[in-house]
Amino acid sequence: MNKQIITASVCLLAALSVAGITGKNFMEVKKPDELRPGPGVTQTKMLSDYFPDIAGTNADSTVYVMEGEQPGGKMLVLGGTHANEPSGYLAAITFVESGKVEQGTVFVIPRTCNSGFTHNDPQEGSPQYYTIQTKGGPRQFRYGSRAANPLDQWPDPDVYVHAASGQRLSGSETRNINRTYPGRPDGTLTEKASYAVRQLIDTEGVNLTFDLHEASPEYPVINATVAHETAMSIASNGMFELQMAGIAMSLEPSPTNLHGLTHRELGDYTDTLPLLMETANASQGRLRGKTNADLVLTGKDKCYVKAQKLGFLYVPYDETGHPIEERVGRHLQGIYEYSKAYSAQYPESPIVYNGLPSYQELFLDADPSELGGTQLGKYLN
Amino acid sequence: MITLIYRGIIAIVMSFTVWNLYTEKKIALQANAAIVLIPLLLRLLMIK
Repeated sequence: MNKQIITASVCLLAALSVAGITGKNFMEVKKPDELRPGPGVTQTKMLSDYFPDIAGTNADSTVYVMEGEQPGGKMLVLGGTHANEPSGYLAAITFVESGKVEQGTVFVIPRTCNSGFTHNDPQEGSPQYYTIQTKGGPRQFRYGSRAANPLDQWPDPDVYVHAASGQRLSGSETRNINRTYPGRPDGTLTEKASYAVRQLIDTEGVNLTFDLHEASPEYPVINATVAHETAMSIASNGMFELQMAGIAMSLEPSPTNLHGLTHRELGDYTDTLPLLMETANASQGRLRGKTNADLVLTGKDKCYVKAQKLGFLYVPYDETGHPIEERVGRHLQGIYEYSKAYSAQYPESPIVYNGLPSYQELFLDADPSELGGTQLGKYLN
Repeated sequence: MITLIYRGIIAIVMSFTVWNLYTEKKIALQANAAIVLIPLLLRLLMIK
């Protein structure tokens, strides 16, 4: 055998080895995180139960049903709409693992855009996972992408035209589930996923819907609740309570000319009252420094501290960062206050639950050395 | 259907790359061809 064939074969073997090792890793990140539902979960369904077309695809996702002993209203919690916004994902998981519904029914989807969890955004240097020490030991949680995996839906158009309104957006937004509502049964995979969420709301008669997000510290809509006009009344009442709990939260009306988002389309196309909440996440920001799992969990970032001093940010930012407990705590307290306001306004269909930590317990009263995952882990199984 | 055509194109490009790998005399260019094969293989199998 001549030298040329030998060296070519060695190179080929090396390439196959690299492809094998990296391929194994890419396959592993597609496996969903193991969730450990608490006794509050009475039933587990799939999104495809409401729209069978997505069965067997990466758009399908688990729906945790938490039914109270007494009848009441119905609430939907959407976590993981954007898989690179961990507080929404972890708040939904905390609900599933620690919550117990007394009156009414709560539906929780921790991975609303399941496909987004199967990859990372290119060139962002995002961590694949972050680890939290929980009651049951260390657990890994996936950090994903804002959009669905292009392997699941391609090619992106140059311009994404929102089907229901004709609104034109950047082509990559075609894979952003929060630009595809109300969805279409014969649309793209992401449109089918949002259509499935809408079907769930219609089929189950969901009264109140929360969509949990995070935003870059330099983005104006942050530490905010965005409410459809039909939900503005309960949002206003809940806001007073949040202020009393020491949570600075702004209330933004859902723009009538911004389409495809939950707070607009679910209010327009279904009977649910939609609310969207945003917390501050440095790991998805443009001004961040070193990007790793620690940044995801602590929010500590020298670049953002400097950016704050230069007046570039819309949230306070100092050396203590914005730990995951603060961000998850804001979501959980927000859900609590808004659902309480809903129950007061609609006493015939109250939604009452317990078992979840308050903002005070999760963040304000925590030992500072335990912020960044350890404190939150006390409420995860 | 479009995905099958796409994967077919990748398979053709891969076969040319492997042919190039075995006909190229310089080891640096052989290594170059081998590196090109990695993303092609991952995409052909729809892994990444």
